[in-house]
Amino acid sequence: MIWEVFRQENAGDYHKHCGNVHAPDREMAKLFAQIQHGRRMQTKSLWVVPQEEVGEVDTDDTSFGGTTDKAYRWAVTYTQVDESFAEEIAESQAEQEEQAKKKREAETND
Amino acid sequence: MTDRYDTVDELDEEATEAFRELIYRLADDEYVIAERDIEWQIYAPTLESDLALANIAQDEFGHARLWYDLAQETGLSEAACLWEKPADQWRHSTLVELPYTDGDWADPVLRSYLYDTAERLRVEALAGSSVAPVADRVQKILDEERYHREHAQSWLERLTLGGGADAGTEESHAKVQDALDRLFPHALTLFAAGEHEETIVAEGFRTETLDDLRREWLDVVIPYLESLDLTVPEPEDEKRTATGRNGDHTEHWEPLLEEFTKTYREFDFDHPVRLREGGVS
Repeated sequence: MIWEVFRQENAGDYHKHCGNVHAPDREMAKLFAQIQHGRRMQTKSLWVVPQEEVGEVDTDDTSFGGTTDKAYRWAVTYTQVDESFAEEIAESQAEQEEQAKKKREAETND
Repeated sequence: MTDRYDTVDELDEEATEAFRELIYRLADDEYVIAERDIEWQIYAPTLESDLALANIAQDEFGHARLWYDLAQETGLSEAACLWEKPADQWRHSTLVELPYTDGDWADPVLRSYLYDTAERLRVEALAGSSVAPVADRVQKILDEERYHREHAQSWLERLTLGGGADAGTEESHAKVQDALDRLFPHALTLFAAGEHEETIVAEGFRTETLDDLRREWLDVVIPYLESLDLTVPEPEDEKRTATGRNGDHTEHWEPLLEEFTKTYREFDFDHPVRLREGGVS
């Protein structure tokens, strides 16, 4: 049986997927995960989750973010605004532009 | 009230001898069980169990290092403590030197349980040692030993029939029972006295006697193993004369020592290879 392992580095962080272990049950999965995923990395906590309990939806099932152009959602019209007054806005904008670029590239490659 | 020693330099000659015996009992056990356990690398039942046992062996090598470093503080070289130490000066219990049989996974699991339970008790009995550098090492070791016991017990509960919902099969149970019959007499040698035992206790190097430790160990392992439906041999019937603690070992010891010191001997330290000054010699 395969258990997916999620590691949290520090209290308050998200648990991030870091691999899996084969184990007959939850207790053994926790023991093995400590060695394989917690020994050499800074670790605060580990989760083990039976692989079959993980729900998945992928690009075969859906078009993530829809298929139409959603550029109107960007704050691009405020071109005269100095974004540096709020780092969060600047980051969010940069992130959206990056994602849109990736999406366009993916569509071009299709 | 015994004297307290901030460093091992403060020990007189007789006390130093006794102190080395105590350290060798600890260090040699750790070193030799690790040496045996790494024989399972790539042969354990699954990748995960392989890594877990290798990890445990690595911890034990680390503990051996802590103790051998302390032995060196008494004025011995690393070679004298380890690589060049004659076979009959090793003080480990015969439990740790016994060879494994290919594929007999019940053996390392049970051996680890018997050993690591004793390890916890004896290391706890060093927390109040009269020698400060001994007491300082205790917590580091205990933290890692907890995983070792959890690991061994989790396996035992899955291999035996008494393990409740996770119980094993008739076959796996029989293999654990077989390992228990074979290993138990050797496990008792963990508590056998060496030449300097009286001094070790009188000087307060260890705050409990071996008899106390043995009793505590039996009080833990017998009920636990019986709860797994295993039959524990009668301890009083199991008196081995070759305890390892007295330098008297099984026939499996010398070949193992030969094997793990082979590379050291081949280095030929007296005649190191030189790349210059007259070419490669």
